[in-house]
Amino acid sequence: MAEHILAFDTSGPYCAAALLRGDEVLATTVEDMARGQAERLMDLLNETLAAHDLAWRDLTALGVGVGPGNFTGIRISVAAARGLAMGLGIPAVGVSTFEASLEDSQNTALALPAPRDSFYVQVFQDGVAAAAAQHLPALPDSSQARILSPKPGDLVTNIARCALARHATNPGAPKPLYVKAPDAAPAKEAGPKILT
Amino acid sequence: MPQIKTILGIESSCDDTAAAVLRVVDGDASILANVVVGQTELHSAFGGVVPEIAARAHVEKLDVAVEQALSQSELALADVDAIAVTRGPGLIGGVVAGVMVAKGLAQATGVPLYGINHLAGHALTPRLTDAVPFPYLMLLVSGGHCQFLCVHDAMTFTRLGGTIDDAPGEAFDKVARLIGLAQPGGPSIERAAMQSETPKRFRFPRPLLDRPGCDMSFSGLKTAVLRARDQIMTKNGGLTALDQADLAAEFQRAVVDVLAEKTKRAMQAFENLTGQTGALCVAGGVAANQAIRHSLMQVADTCGVPFVAPPIALCTDNAAMIAWAGFEQMPYRAPDDMSLSALPRMPLDRASAPMLGSGKKGAKA
Repeated sequence: MAEHILAFDTSGPYCAAALLRGDEVLATTVEDMARGQAERLMDLLNETLAAHDLAWRDLTALGVGVGPGNFTGIRISVAAARGLAMGLGIPAVGVSTFEASLEDSQNTALALPAPRDSFYVQVFQDGVAAAAAQHLPALPDSSQARILSPKPGDLVTNIARCALARHATNPGAPKPLYVKAPDAAPAKEAGPKILT
Repeated sequence: MPQIKTILGIESSCDDTAAAVLRVVDGDASILANVVVGQTELHSAFGGVVPEIAARAHVEKLDVAVEQALSQSELALADVDAIAVTRGPGLIGGVVAGVMVAKGLAQATGVPLYGINHLAGHALTPRLTDAVPFPYLMLLVSGGHCQFLCVHDAMTFTRLGGTIDDAPGEAFDKVARLIGLAQPGGPSIERAAMQSETPKRFRFPRPLLDRPGCDMSFSGLKTAVLRARDQIMTKNGGLTALDQADLAAEFQRAVVDVLAEKTKRAMQAFENLTGQTGALCVAGGVAANQAIRHSLMQVADTCGVPFVAPPIALCTDNAAMIAWAGFEQMPYRAPDDMSLSALPRMPLDRASAPMLGSGKKGAKA
């Protein structure tokens, strides 16, 4: 029986979904929205399945975009994927924008534009991450990194393909790829001196 | 055949990731599991809950908490009849994570989903623990909230008054920091206060006691503690344990006095509104403070009404109360659909004028 993969991504200002039957792409849907992904996502997925006469129980695995991107957007999809995976008893595969943009077994650095002209960068060797992704304020002039600007529809379709390739390898629960540490400064004010 | 309902509750509105399984047989509820995964260590370096850190923790702990709650109950998801989830008010990143996990579970299992107001969870807890009849007076007093509610039924709440600035739990934390006590401030101030030897050494204000009504204010009290602390620091170069104890004790007394007096007035307001007396109930993390509990109990005693304070684990944030609120509200409302939104601001009483937060974003709580 053919494997069905449903993937979704809300790491940018959109709600995107892709549905695969094996290698065949049954559907790719992108709805642009600056907000409201949390309200829209589940119905978009329902509509995508229904349009191809599929039910949730027909799915083999889920693919979910883990970023980098909008923190809240990533969490919306990752939380939904975790709930769905648990409820359906199928794996949810977390796929980063870097992984989804990798072509074959490349030795390459990939750079994804981040807020205020900065970049998220990750280096891959033979198609495998060589180190954790980094957040750089700017790309050095000498950088050989390929700068990504994935279209949401291509990205979510590639996320689905990665999920198809990896779902049987015990991928573990999806986790957001924030790259950046949370914006929080330790408490400034030192407490009073305590006399003994 | 007994009527059995099994409800999964999910709560993630502040810094506790919580999941619970409640089973109600012919109206009798038992809590099969009440899992609360705290985040205190994650936030300790920052002197307060950092919303982004909280949201990051929730998204990776919620499903784990649900698994734990189910396995402790020796139940499977297939045994669950409904899912109840906090949809606000609270830190939006955490609430969104909870709502999305709940939607995923509900969509996958086909079970109805109920979005619940976190405050309704607290306000209905006395019925879970003590079957308190409607209507009753609820003092909800925690790190984020402080209000008097007349609880008419599972869906209808009138806010009789509340804080116009800080919540008492927040004041306990801030004062603990000011006088060099550990976080969370509630327990450490209570402990320090017990060591006080000179009760009348300081006199802090009892804000708003001179005004009618049951509104409260705690932010000026904090400033009074700061001034007293600075005087000692200037004189002696630091605080002794006894200074800490005396400051803590007077601060706690001031909070107790304000809560007790305002509670008396709230009971009067409750009677004026409902034309009857009702139990005095308390919930929220600050209800764990023994001095506050004791004084509220005395107020209830004087007025001849029952006093109900749920056990601490059901006073602080938990998901059993969300599951229970879901059960209580089910007969009176439809389940939510998959467009259920998470709300940072969500007043329980939509009719009364907002006290905290206004403008286009509307009332906070």
